[in-house]
Amino acid sequence: MTINSPVILAVELGPLRLKNPVMVASGTFGYGQEYAALVPLENLGGVVVKGISLEPRSGNPPPRIWETCGGMLNSIGLQNVGLQTFLREKLPHLRPLQVPVIVNLFGNTVEEYGELAAGLDGHEGIDALEINISCPNVKAGGMAFGSDPKMVFQVVSAVRSRTNLPVITKLTPNVTDITLPAKAAEDAGTDILSLINTVAGMAVDPQTRRPRLGNVVGGLSGPAIKPIALRMVWQVIQASNLPVIGLGGIVSVEDALEFLIIGAKAIQVGTANFVNPQVTLDIISGLEDYLRQQGLRDINQIIGTLEVAR
Amino acid sequence: MILRNAQILFNKPMSTELYHLGLLCPDIAVSIQPGQFVMVRIRDSFDPLLRRPFAIHRLYPNDPPGSLEILYKVVGKGTRLLTTMQPGNSVNLLGPLGRGFRFPNDNGFVLLVAGGIGIAPLPYLAETLAAHKHKGPFVLWFGGKTSGDLVCVQHFKDLGFAVEIVTEDGSIGRKGLVTEHLEPWLIQQDELPKVIYSCGPYPMQRSIAEMAARLRISSQLSMEALMGCGVGACLSCSLRCRPPQGAADPHYANVCQNGPVFDGEEIIWE
Ligand SMILES: Cc1cc2nc3c(=O)[nH]c(=O)nc-3n(C[C@H](O)[C@H](O)[C@H](O)COP(=O)(O)OP(=O)(O)OC[C@H]3O[C@@H](n4cnc5c(N)ncnc54)[C@H](O)[C@@H]3O)c2cc1C
Ligand SMILES: Cc1cc2nc3c(=O)[nH]c(=O)nc-3n(C[C@H](O)[C@H](O)[C@H](O)COP(=O)(O)O)c2cc1C
Ligand code: FES
Repeated sequence: MTINSPVILAVELGPLRLKNPVMVASGTFGYGQEYAALVPLENLGGVVVKGISLEPRSGNPPPRIWETCGGMLNSIGLQNVGLQTFLREKLPHLRPLQVPVIVNLFGNTVEEYGELAAGLDGHEGIDALEINISCPNVKAGGMAFGSDPKMVFQVVSAVRSRTNLPVITKLTPNVTDITLPAKAAEDAGTDILSLINTVAGMAVDPQTRRPRLGNVVGGLSGPAIKPIALRMVWQVIQASNLPVIGLGGIVSVEDALEFLIIGAKAIQVGTANFVNPQVTLDIISGLEDYLRQQGLRDINQIIGTLEVAR
Repeated sequence: MILRNAQILFNKPMSTELYHLGLLCPDIAVSIQPGQFVMVRIRDSFDPLLRRPFAIHRLYPNDPPGSLEILYKVVGKGTRLLTTMQPGNSVNLLGPLGRGFRFPNDNGFVLLVAGGIGIAPLPYLAETLAAHKHKGPFVLWFGGKTSGDLVCVQHFKDLGFAVEIVTEDGSIGRKGLVTEHLEPWLIQQDELPKVIYSCGPYPMQRSIAEMAARLRISSQLSMEALMGCGVGACLSCSLRCRPPQGAADPHYANVCQNGPVFDGEEIIWE
């Protein structure tokens, strides 16, 4: 195969077709415009926007991030412009682009998730919804929806019943057995699973004896969490028939390939965008190079090809 | 917004803690404004993970064309690593970023205030103001912990600035904090400036904003925050500000996008 022979990167995740498997992760790419000067959005497999709630949210008091060894903690607190402003001011910039737009959403209650899904349904320019279940259920004493399979089922059902868009459920790693919420989401009718969200963490300043984050605890992302993410994606792929989007700590084409090889149909890149805003473009061209080196034509020849000695 | 490798021209220690870093980056040098900043990726690895924000200290349009200078203080992992970089190496820059200093339509008294490493963005600002045909007077109030913190003083003098120095240990100039000495001095002047430009630690910025409010003049304050992206994508660099009409309360502005230079009246001080 020659250097320039065409290779196919297109993937299908149930109802969602992507021209390549490389997306940007929610909360790390704003509403798409912030990096548009550096990243032609149409080259991406998909853009997942910052999590949206029914009403605008202020977020947590600063400091909101802290760099750790190989990662970063954040406690943004789901600050966002709210549904109406998103539809009025953010979506119109994305709508004309030939790139799937995936709206990440979250609520304080099961009902809010349903209302949001209904509010987003039918708007031209939205290609899928991604449900963030890593946030507290106000009616259940602040316990994260994602940590209880029953609540996962309720939230996903609420969204499923109010939208015709493809539904992605984004799992939290802060559970003992990741296959339980995965199963619950599948039973509730999600089309796709994505994982992982950030890993719960904390840091302290020994000089002041104060937490590094205004919210005391936060979520860890970046290269440090990749092995955890890979293991969980692998477990979910073993346990579920749904297409899976893998993310957590991806910074290079090698990282992306690890997720694809274990069976993820697509990947998302989060924290690495901050370090190299063009990392997704590098990963996309790196995947093409890899296929040529391997003498393959189609990325689907790589997906799910992990060789485990038995 | 541009992403470029920039060759290191020089990386000179001014003291044990302060370094001048010269970088060749014509694309950013031609467009960056005083008070704007760049996010620096010190090396092509993920350790340290995040880019580091730095202001532009000076531009050198001809020496060689398109070069710029950063003044940095060694405080941790990233800046320590930066000291090991040699001329000929390169770093990766993302910029110009943020909203810099604004220049009200005024050509009188120019007052700059710096605390410690807060001096970093002021030479470029001073050069720009000096070129704006202000009639003056031009004054810099510069505070540090000790005399070693007070770099670039001669440069301001060469630009026609009177430099008023304050050190916490009294090793040079007045003893104490800039904010203790500035207000009594200002009140004795024939006229007040329309605006105070200031860069320094949070408590100093707060005192400057409060003083400016008392004297009914405006203040432009360059603020700091921990930054993830530098471009408004991650919402980590929040600074509590007065909410615009219809916005959620509390309202957090992004220092990287809405700042780093804020009007003192915009900020809600913690
Ligand atoms: C808009 C802006 C302009 C700046 N301009 C300059 C300048 O011209 N010269 C200069 O010396 N310093 C400047 N700073 C501060 C500089 O960014 C920090 O000193 C630097 O990031 C410290 O990195 P480190 O790895 O050495 O420290 P560490 O403490 O090891 O860094 C850990 C983390 O905290 C962040 N951090 C630590 N201190 C600060 C701080 N004061 N402000 C923001 N983030 C911080 C780092 O970026 C990193 O993410 C500026 C900050 C901002 C926000
Ligand atoms: C600053 C920041 C904000 C985030 N905001 C959201 C969000 O709004 N919704 C969501 O589902 N995930 C959010 N995430 C999680 C990421 O989308 C991603 O799941 C996680 O960071 C792991 O991937 P990474 O290691 O590639 O960053 C956020 C992550 C970061 C670092
Ligand atoms: S640093 Fe990311 S929004 Fe300001």
